[in-house]
Amino acid sequence: MMVLGFTGGALGGHLGGWRHRDSFPTTTMQLQCMVEMAQIAERGGLDMMFLADGNGVRQMDKPALFAANSPSDRPAVFEPVTLFAALAQHTSRIGLVATATTTYEEPFSIARKFASLDHLSGGRAGWNLVTTQYVEDAKNFGRDEHIGRVERYERAQESLDVVRALWNSWATDAFPQDKATGQYLDPARVRLTNHRGAHFAVKGPLNVARTPQGQPVVFMAGQSEAGKELAAYGGEGLFGTASSKAQAQKEYADIKGRMPKYGRPPDALKILPALSVFVGRTRAEADALYDELQGLIAPSLAVSYLSKLVGFDLTDAPLDGPMPASPGESIGGTAIGRSVLEMAAREGLSVRGTYERVLPSMGGNMVKGDPVEVADMMEDWYTGKACDGFMLSMPVQPRSLRDFVELVVPELQRRGLRPPEYRGASLRENMGLPIPADPFLA
Amino acid sequence: MMHLACIPNLVGGHLGGWRHKDAFDRPVMNLEAFIEMSQIAERGKFDCVFLADGNGVRDMDRPALFAANHPSARPSFFEPTTLLSAVSMVTRHVGVVATATSTYDEPWMVARRFASMDHISKGRAGWNLVTASNAGDALNFGRSEHMGREDRYARAQEFYEVVAALWDSWADDAFPQDKASGQYLDPTRVQPIDHSGAHFTVKGPLNISRTPQGRPIVFMAGQSAPGMELAARYADALFGAGTTKQDCIDAYADIKGRMARYGRSPDTLKILPGVSVFTGRTAAEAEDLYLELQSLISPALGVHYLSKMLVHDLETLPLDGPLPFDDLAEETLGGSSLRRYIIDMARRDNLTIRETYQRTLPALGGPVFKGSPTQVADEMEDWWRSKAGDGFTIMAPVQPRGLSDFVDLVVPELQRRGIFRREYETTTLRGHLGLPDAPSRWHSEPEKAERGAA
Repeated sequence: MMVLGFTGGALGGHLGGWRHRDSFPTTTMQLQCMVEMAQIAERGGLDMMFLADGNGVRQMDKPALFAANSPSDRPAVFEPVTLFAALAQHTSRIGLVATATTTYEEPFSIARKFASLDHLSGGRAGWNLVTTQYVEDAKNFGRDEHIGRVERYERAQESLDVVRALWNSWATDAFPQDKATGQYLDPARVRLTNHRGAHFAVKGPLNVARTPQGQPVVFMAGQSEAGKELAAYGGEGLFGTASSKAQAQKEYADIKGRMPKYGRPPDALKILPALSVFVGRTRAEADALYDELQGLIAPSLAVSYLSKLVGFDLTDAPLDGPMPASPGESIGGTAIGRSVLEMAAREGLSVRGTYERVLPSMGGNMVKGDPVEVADMMEDWYTGKACDGFMLSMPVQPRSLRDFVELVVPELQRRGLRPPEYRGASLRENMGLPIPADPFLA
Repeated sequence: MMHLACIPNLVGGHLGGWRHKDAFDRPVMNLEAFIEMSQIAERGKFDCVFLADGNGVRDMDRPALFAANHPSARPSFFEPTTLLSAVSMVTRHVGVVATATSTYDEPWMVARRFASMDHISKGRAGWNLVTASNAGDALNFGRSEHMGREDRYARAQEFYEVVAALWDSWADDAFPQDKASGQYLDPTRVQPIDHSGAHFTVKGPLNISRTPQGRPIVFMAGQSAPGMELAARYADALFGAGTTKQDCIDAYADIKGRMARYGRSPDTLKILPGVSVFTGRTAAEAEDLYLELQSLISPALGVHYLSKMLVHDLETLPLDGPLPFDDLAEETLGGSSLRRYIIDMARRDNLTIRETYQRTLPALGGPVFKGSPTQVADEMEDWWRSKAGDGFTIMAPVQPRGLSDFVDLVVPELQRRGIFRREYETTTLRGHLGLPDAPSRWHSEPEKAERGAA
């Protein structure tokens, strides 16, 4: 079954999305927007709502872009785990996937908040493990410089091991809570973590009981060599950025091919490339939405946005000249930036041609058309082993999400690519992932 | 008006509370039970519910006590900001106060979680700043030893200053979100904090807009001298502890007396001593509950519990002999204020080990108000009028019975006397507590004043 999630930013995924007449009137710290999107998505049976996150305010040195706000900057958003704890009370089936960084957070704190969310949501929590790609975040945590990629990934892997060990602290039956005998818990059914490694020393155990789905689901998004390896080692969901089917197929085979050496079946990791969906009842309606949104962005703002995504300044590059190559691999260089540059080189795009492609989908894959055309594209990738599903990005919220749920989901269901209703109560069941074994029962 | 907080922990405040027939059957990770408690508190017009917290599983070296579980052990509990974010979806008025430690957390993370919770709850969030008194928690954060008290408080003070500055990052009007012009935010209405101190370097600004309360409400609980000083300087509310009315009166005068040197009016800090309430329709009913609960605890378990509270093994000593006061005189790292209270109580009242644990079981050594609703209200009114507190933090031995009895029996009596609200008059915790608006660096700017006047 195709796995489907969506990116829950209230701004929408297009740079001009928030300005469209069908977008939310205001979005800053508007809980109601988040509740509404979660409920629309649940109505459409989507497996998860996902929130990207960072720990810093970005683009303050680029006032025009800062003032216009881009979908990936998030100058003022809820802390995602507290937000999802609240949304869990307004939903009952949809998975809730929040981002937390291993670079600036302690494994004990990460293990605890996601275990807590899993209990609060009845087994719907997911952790998107990131190492933080944004250099400036370091300055909010007492560091002058960002940690290099190699060290970030070593730390990430160790953190993941510690978090999983903490999640295994208690047996499922560790708390008899027997009023008659006075035995609240069974001391033989809990164990210390006793981890001592290069980056962390954590005694444990975690002060949260084993969670409803055994362990929250672990997602990743890294597309670098180290990121792919870590996903093969321990990811259960992977957000991709491939902008073409061929690229997606290559990455899919690459990452799944790395799994056997870790003793993991390829099915234990679901690869979900980003997909921006412009859909309408007719192709003309989808085109109109697309054109309206593109028309909201001035070239100067678009160039500023593109500069941010690729990580170097394009202000002086001729608008209709070829897209320049990167001046060098930067420490904060991102998967999206690399993907955009690859696309521009592959297709011989100008600066203008590149930003026109980047505005709607940050350079990731995009589909535009009527519901059948959208479903065709999704089916083609899915059956062609380019992916296990998609992480949907919606240009204008809540309109685009509602359109997808009302127009595309029924078409996918008709084709048997999506279930008629949720298959289970937990995110694991809905994604078709196994429940991790309780080590006390093994 | 009196202010009331409650501790809605599901196992109750008595060591035997969870075993009582009227206690929740399955308290571990029971969200529904917690929602029920919060809704009872809201029905009783409480200012807030408050969750203590720690970052470790305690007492694993004392298997009998560990297995029996005690009210402050919390071997398995929700992370409090996530729990209270959920609870704020099913309540409308009651404040939600969570604990976070300045010792093992980052100021950025704390500023963000609580700002987020304040937006989610629409202005009902509070942060109980603790320095973590449980030494074992250190081992979950890469440290081999707990930080000493002086270091912890120096760090706590700077931590608070960073968090408060982060909460001031954005002006109230920083987000015009103007679809027509394309201006989402106003870059002139936000500033980095550029903090650089002994413990933290934080650039800011925070990635959350100014919160509904301006800033979440800051609670503290420390009873040590540095704790009281920090509270006098920065806290909006204080969970007090004292075994007697006189203790509380002295602490109240002491802390409020320290505020002037920070330019603060005594009214801007609400002190809420913790009390355990045993009540029933009659005094006899309250007494029965008390005795039932005491009988659920064997002497062996009682002594284990006391040993833990005093951070000293008492198992080999005669049950009906005195405490080893000489051995207990030394300060222990991680020893809480409570430890000193229990020792002082035992010495003052000349208690045996058995008597000491029996006095400790119902309320961790804190004060107990036991009796009919009128008797409990009398004591509360007396303490309040005597300036032992601006209100109370109510604990109850058995949940949910304890809290619902308090709300159904004692609250109406307080309301009848005109010393507690009949209805909520505001929708924010700041409003319930009668605290002034939060300061903001943006409010004092002349240009802002001009804008406001225009």
